[in-house]
Amino acid sequence: MAIAPPPSPSRRDPVVHDLPSTSLPTPPAPTTGQEPVPSTTGTAVLRCSGLRKRFGERQAVDGVGFSIAPGETYGLLGPNGAGKTTTISIVCGILRRDEGEVVVAGRPMDPGATALKAEIGYVPQDLAIYPDLSARENLSFFGRLYGLSGATLRTRVDEVLQVVDLTDRAKDRTATYSGGMKRRLNIAIGLLHQPSLLVLDEPTVGVDPQSRNAILTSVEALSAAGMGILYTTHYMEEAERLCDRVGIMDEGKIIAEGRRRELVALIGELDRVRLVASGDLAAAAAAARAIPGVREASNRDGEIDLLVEEARSLLPRLLETVTGDGVTIRSVEVIEPDLESVFLHLTGKALRD
Amino acid sequence: MRAAIIIARRILRQRLRDRSAIVFAVLTPLFLALAFAAIIPDFTPTFHTTILVVDQDGGRVAGLFRDDVLAQLTETGIADIQPATDVAAATADVDADRAGVAIVIPAGLTSAVTTGRPAEMRIIAGGNVTAREVARAVVTRFASDIGTVQLAVQTIAASGGQADQATVEAAAQAVHGASPITVGDIAAEKRQASMATFYGAAMAIMFVFFAAQYGTLSLLGERRDGTLSRLIAAPIPPAAIILGGSLAGMTLGIVAMSTMVVATTLLVHASWGPPALVAILILAAVFAVTGISTLISTLTKTIEQASGLSAIVAICLAAIGGVFIPLSQSPEILGRIATITPHAWFLRAIDTLAGPDPALVEILPSVVVLVAMGLVTGAIGLARARRAVVPA
Repeated sequence: MAIAPPPSPSRRDPVVHDLPSTSLPTPPAPTTGQEPVPSTTGTAVLRCSGLRKRFGERQAVDGVGFSIAPGETYGLLGPNGAGKTTTISIVCGILRRDEGEVVVAGRPMDPGATALKAEIGYVPQDLAIYPDLSARENLSFFGRLYGLSGATLRTRVDEVLQVVDLTDRAKDRTATYSGGMKRRLNIAIGLLHQPSLLVLDEPTVGVDPQSRNAILTSVEALSAAGMGILYTTHYMEEAERLCDRVGIMDEGKIIAEGRRRELVALIGELDRVRLVASGDLAAAAAAARAIPGVREASNRDGEIDLLVEEARSLLPRLLETVTGDGVTIRSVEVIEPDLESVFLHLTGKALRD
Repeated sequence: MRAAIIIARRILRQRLRDRSAIVFAVLTPLFLALAFAAIIPDFTPTFHTTILVVDQDGGRVAGLFRDDVLAQLTETGIADIQPATDVAAATADVDADRAGVAIVIPAGLTSAVTTGRPAEMRIIAGGNVTAREVARAVVTRFASDIGTVQLAVQTIAASGGQADQATVEAAAQAVHGASPITVGDIAAEKRQASMATFYGAAMAIMFVFFAAQYGTLSLLGERRDGTLSRLIAAPIPPAAIILGGSLAGMTLGIVAMSTMVVATTLLVHASWGPPALVAILILAAVFAVTGISTLISTLTKTIEQASGLSAIVAICLAAIGGVFIPLSQSPEILGRIATITPHAWFLRAIDTLAGPDPALVEILPSVVVLVAMGLVTGAIGLARARRAVVPA
């Protein structure tokens, strides 16, 4: 299933990261409002605004709005009960909204918009496969519902089986599959009809690390291939790894939206760079302090500790400056504030509460 | 409709895979047919007996009974009518099972009728219960008619007139002609399916509930297994999800009933009637059962609840509908109540098909009622089920 080399699992790893290459448009400025951020290239595959849904006394979704461009992965990040699943159920036409608008591929989406549903590949949070059928039978069944037939259906089934690495077990009843295999099949069904928009609702819940990594790798490949992806999760690491933009949801509202860096900037936290080095560390720290963007620099016990505004962009100049003073660097650790910190800052509670 | 068929095919594949379709649509009917073969020894499809007549009267009324009333039993193939010389000889023949029953026309019957005096016709019965009941029915009906003639005669006498032979004959013919039943009623009695056919049909209509539920309850299964949301998100009309389950239920029901028909025909010589009419009746019955089963599936939250309720409904309707005890042997009130069940209408049509040369028009009332039952209950069920698949 390894479509692309998996990136580093966490940005807390003590390694120097390259900026992820992307062909996405310039990101919009971070917002904390509820109106959709318009796509900057062509027609957005999904645009929704002012979504509201109430269950009895509980306002499950309260004025949610966002948009997704082709090839963009948008993450809805929030704790359980934040309204993520309700939001995507509205987007997919599974739930009727009380208020608001959903536009998929330029056309308004309603529960009665049957044909438009073919533009969406839906991967529900719970496994939605038939355990007494094989993977191939499951895929063929759902493929037919999406209008595929004959050679086209067979070809697509073979392709998605390959994508999720289930070709060898395609004829086995899915009841005999591991949890990770079932999850991969669950995703494959959503991909089968080559939708414009893939909606994944917490697709890695209960999955072993290996399968989880494989799933994330697949999602990255699909995004790179131009598919718009709406991804809900309460795993901060997944949102950071996959999502071009993130909407942080809590109590039915998107309380902040933007790229990870932009969201982090919202709360004013700085990156930390820790250099393990030898030589005149005091002089090196003083030289580093003079670089614009470096807020603090100190040294002790063979380490230089720096607080900087944006470590990734500063790192080359920083290393050049430090090594220019005859200091030898043995290791570099970059610690960036994560979305967990953002969520904690914005809501006063942990993401997995 | 295409989506409904796709869903129905998938459900049937699953039911074949978990063997529930084999068990309820094939093995159960086969087992029941084999059980009938073991526990019901005589599957003679057509009743026939010999009735001896001891005519001690020899008058016109006796002749009317012998040559007109009893002769119709011969014409309809129910009995051979043979004269007996005397009561002793008739008794001996009945005891020796050379005849099923004997009827003794007493001396002076004609005279008694014309003068309004009582007379007694006797039946000499042996071990053939059916023959005895046929004879009793014929004689009772004839006695009733004779009573009417006597009443006419007594009325003439009371008004100062005199009933001559011509008057009696005219009265007798009038009664015979006007009676809506008399021997014709006996012919209707014959329109009853054989025991093998009856129990085969009764078990078929009862167990088709269990076969059909494996399709109609699929919506609850989709909800339990988490696949319902994926189906709702698919580009298909919500009604297709429900209709697919109902189609699968109907298919399983048709297979179950057809298996029962073939198995009872081959194993216990059940006589269901013309295949085309039986097919129409089966389709109508399965349609009704599918409708009821669809409705039941919407009254519960889980498959377990629905299965339990479905079983209770199937047994109760079967009991009311004459599956266990034929309605002909039940109180009249039960017969009326039974008309709310598909079982009663199905079994009524099966009885009709047992008659000579049945026509579609004769089972049409049952077919229409069964289809109507399916439409009404199915429509309510579909309307209720739509709440589960149409986004709220």
